[in-house]
Amino acid sequence: MSTPIRPILSSLLRNRTGAVLVALQIALALAILVNATYIVKQRVDTINRPTGVDEPNLFAIESFGFTPRYDHASSVRADLAWLRGLNGVASATAVNSAPLTLSGSSSPWYRTPARGPDDRVGSIDYQIDEQGLQTFGTHLIAGRNFRPEEILPAATAAHQDQHPPSVIVTESLARKLFPGGSAVGKTIYDFLGRPTTIIGVTADIFSGPWQNPDEAEYTTFMPEVPLTWGFRFLVRTQPGRIDDVMRTVTQQMQELNPDRIVRSIQPISLFKKWVYLNERVTVIFLIVTTTLLLAIAALGIFGLATFNVSTRTKQIGIRRAVGARKHDIIQYFMVENGLITSAGILTGCALALTVGYELSLYYHLPRLDLLYLVGGILVLWVIGQLAAWQPARRAATVPPSVATRTA
Amino acid sequence: MIAYNMRLAVKSFRKNPGITALMVGAIAIGIAACVIMMTLYHVTSGNPIWWKSDRLYAVTLDNWDPNHPYDSAHPDMAPPQLTYRDAETLAKSRIPLRHVIMRLDQGVIVAGTGRPQTVSTRDTTADFFAMFDVPFLYGGGWNAASDANPDPVIVLSKAENRRLFGGVNSVGRMLRWEDHEFRVVGVLDDWNPQPKFYDLNNGAFAPIEDVFIPYGWTEALQRVIVHGNHQCWNFQSIDTFQDYLNADCDWIQMWVELPTKADRQRMQDFIDAFWAEQHAKGRFPRPRNNRLTNVSQWLKDQRVVGNDDRILLGAAFAFLAVCLINTIGLLLAKFLNGAPLTGIRRALGASRRHIFIQHMVVTGLVATAGALLGLVLTWIGLWGIHELYAINAQLDAPGRDILSHPDFYSLGTAAGLAVVASLAAGLYPAWRVGRLAPAAFLKNQ
Repeated sequence: MSTPIRPILSSLLRNRTGAVLVALQIALALAILVNATYIVKQRVDTINRPTGVDEPNLFAIESFGFTPRYDHASSVRADLAWLRGLNGVASATAVNSAPLTLSGSSSPWYRTPARGPDDRVGSIDYQIDEQGLQTFGTHLIAGRNFRPEEILPAATAAHQDQHPPSVIVTESLARKLFPGGSAVGKTIYDFLGRPTTIIGVTADIFSGPWQNPDEAEYTTFMPEVPLTWGFRFLVRTQPGRIDDVMRTVTQQMQELNPDRIVRSIQPISLFKKWVYLNERVTVIFLIVTTTLLLAIAALGIFGLATFNVSTRTKQIGIRRAVGARKHDIIQYFMVENGLITSAGILTGCALALTVGYELSLYYHLPRLDLLYLVGGILVLWVIGQLAAWQPARRAATVPPSVATRTA
Repeated sequence: MIAYNMRLAVKSFRKNPGITALMVGAIAIGIAACVIMMTLYHVTSGNPIWWKSDRLYAVTLDNWDPNHPYDSAHPDMAPPQLTYRDAETLAKSRIPLRHVIMRLDQGVIVAGTGRPQTVSTRDTTADFFAMFDVPFLYGGGWNAASDANPDPVIVLSKAENRRLFGGVNSVGRMLRWEDHEFRVVGVLDDWNPQPKFYDLNNGAFAPIEDVFIPYGWTEALQRVIVHGNHQCWNFQSIDTFQDYLNADCDWIQMWVELPTKADRQRMQDFIDAFWAEQHAKGRFPRPRNNRLTNVSQWLKDQRVVGNDDRILLGAAFAFLAVCLINTIGLLLAKFLNGAPLTGIRRALGASRRHIFIQHMVVTGLVATAGALLGLVLTWIGLWGIHELYAINAQLDAPGRDILSHPDFYSLGTAAGLAVVASLAAGLYPAWRVGRLAPAAFLKNQ
């Protein structure tokens, strides 16, 4: 027996309101589901972006010298020696800024001393010492590391522009500067045209001080003790030891030198969580509301179908009495639901694409990936049919004798 | 009559408790999602000094690179800060009623034998407090004479005064800031403008500074800025601290108070004249873009409201729409399902109006229950988001705090939204059922 679409359709058209409300719900749900999932996917990608540093075992310490007795060079030297001697510490360095702390600096490099505007390549600056690369958790892929005697002393307020004769750059920056071949041994020029030699190239790190991923992989390591104001120690621990080491540092480091304050002893993983806070709020809100939305839509369809069956008990009885099988009754309600769902999905597709287009237009989101639309259609179709299944089964249990009872 | 309608309503709820619960739940969740997002949006999009918004102006000049705009995504925008020298020159004008030039600083503070602590510090000129209507608990600010050759005077935030002095009137007490002796001249009362319009550089929702000192300390102490935001495009060799101050780098915020349109025009002319004079000397290579921006425009220009905030607000309203459509559908089905009973009531003499009112009572009860549950859910949701934001406090970092002060605006809107939305949901079904002809149903019985 072929599916009796015509009578279902004509009965639907006679009782439009309920069907329209269900279809409208499905349409809106589809538009929300598809676009929310797409936004969630992008935010999750952002949050999970690799940092390129050994973030589970890395923490940072801020240090502020504040009395006339504070001597930056000797204080940094003593603190580093103490940190490196701690049980569980793999390596430590003083840095001008730590990854994902939203505080740092960047400056341009040029391939020629003429410094034309098209020659300019911006890069993030990290001032480190000979343990710096190891502490970040990146490794050399060409050239060599800094030697301890190459580390320049800190700049001062009066002499800020120190110029390192040699630097180490990340792979991406090396390739950007010298697309042809190896960058090791090549000369680059700073913003005043002073030459610097690239002595090493490391694997990329993707975690600049800022969360903005644009050009985060263009990083330059400079052999230099950072300025007094606003520097941090970066400490890499042996795997699993970060909590122990941080506890020891919190308890003991301040006492080593009363002329400086030690504060903000925090793991880089916490900074990462903080930097992506808004993304997390968006993801959690969208997941919770979209899940609830689907649940409400499913229950709503279920409720309407149940009412539908109970108001039509008599009709069903008559159909059964004139020869319809249980199977036909179930099929009737499932097809009816399918028709309504399809109408809703068609409207929803148009709505989802419009919303996706507006979002890409006004909020610079990438254009909606159609795979998400296909997934959303399947989900809503299945939800619609599942919600109608139980009421349809109940309808089928209406005995033919109902037809003969009242009236 | 009301009591009778109530009894009927309760009876009808008992008939299908699952559906009733679903309707209440849908309304509650829809409203909660909306109110949560409205609260977040309201915190983000507020103007914390609306009463003076159109007489306070941020001063900006475009001193950036001739080849690249300051912000490539918005090339018409000038950098939000000024160079030290430009700010100094512009601040000499007597046209504005008040003006401030300032920057974010940081120092280590020690009071008596207490533990040294780092404090965020604002180096600012004297008008700051009067210009931004900053409330004082004790004492007051300093006068302009203290700015240039800076006097060792300091104003504490209320929280800092509590930490250092246990909250007592500390005016006249001495403390050390960056190892210099300072005298407390004032303690602020509660003040937390959100967004922090006067300096958005280090987070639009950063708390106010812990302490405030005269602007001249920036130059007197010769410390290189590390807090706040210091941006250069035209790099110069810096050999002395004077070179640092003279550099074409932006790191000073400037605001002026201009009560009338005429004042504003005179100030604009003054800045344009300064620009022209400098331009003739070879500075300001970009096209002229001297702006006086009032607070509400400033908050827009600096994009305090993020895209995600708008998207989530939109999603929340779409979500509420689904919840309401759901409820309309269920109410309609429920009312039509009870039509035979309604038919009997009509046949026994109940008017259409009575039937309508009876069904609106049912709707009203569902709406009220949904709204109340919605407020509970809102509170839970806001608390959850507040917990997520707690990481800010852990890192001593700026972040919006949505629970710090109860938001009566959002709460009021929530209650209104709840009642209006759910009553609207019930209107059509109640009207539909009131118009049914009773005979059709009676015949069937």
